[in-house]
Amino acid sequence: MGKSAISNNIRKLRFLHGEMTQQDLADKVGVTRQTIIAIEKERYAPSLELAFRIAFVFDAPLEDVFSYDAKNDPI
Amino acid sequence: MSFQEKNITVSLISFTLILGFYSLRLWHIVRNGFEAGSVFRLWGVVIVLAIVMTIAGTILAHILSTILEAIRTGEEPTEVEDLEDERDRLIDLRGTKISYSVSSIGVFLAMLSFVLGKSPLVMFALLIFAGLAAQIVGDIFRLVLYRRGF
Repeated sequence: MGKSAISNNIRKLRFLHGEMTQQDLADKVGVTRQTIIAIEKERYAPSLELAFRIAFVFDAPLEDVFSYDAKNDPI
Repeated sequence: MSFQEKNITVSLISFTLILGFYSLRLWHIVRNGFEAGSVFRLWGVVIVLAIVMTIAGTILAHILSTILEAIRTGEEPTEVEDLEDERDRLIDLRGTKISYSVSSIGVFLAMLSFVLGKSPLVMFALLIFAGLAAQIVGDIFRLVLYRRGF
């Protein structure tokens, strides 16, 4: 499966937030670590609710965490 | 390996063993004369086996993995990681969709055999075969999605 049209800066934001671990972020947003890994690798596009929860944890607007690239969108 | 992956692996192993058992028993039944009593008894055995093996297998897998984890880390695990999130639910949904597709093809083939003049017992034998095969294909698909990330 190819990368999704949604890219993100989660790895960078985790680093900027005191090297927050994937497990810490997963616990804060209520998902498994595997889901955070899949999102970071851009293999899985999270739901809008989860995207907002992740942005909330980093205290950043949604568009600073996620961005949309129409070129990668098959539609 | 996550809680869900362990469950799927247990289900995959259980249903593969049951399908093997079913195929062997069916082969014997066909060779010794295809009669209703044997086929329906086999139906019952397969359904009971599927329920018992899945429950017992899941419990056993969790006990074993907890013991192995305790040996590996040297600490007693304090909580069971049974959290199911949106990605797990999506993977499960996709696996179920594949299972339904395989099952539908099986039901169609079973009905077709009846329409083409085969015994109703052939239809029943094919129906349960399709059900078991559908579960196995769905489980494999779920595991592939978990291994790939999604």
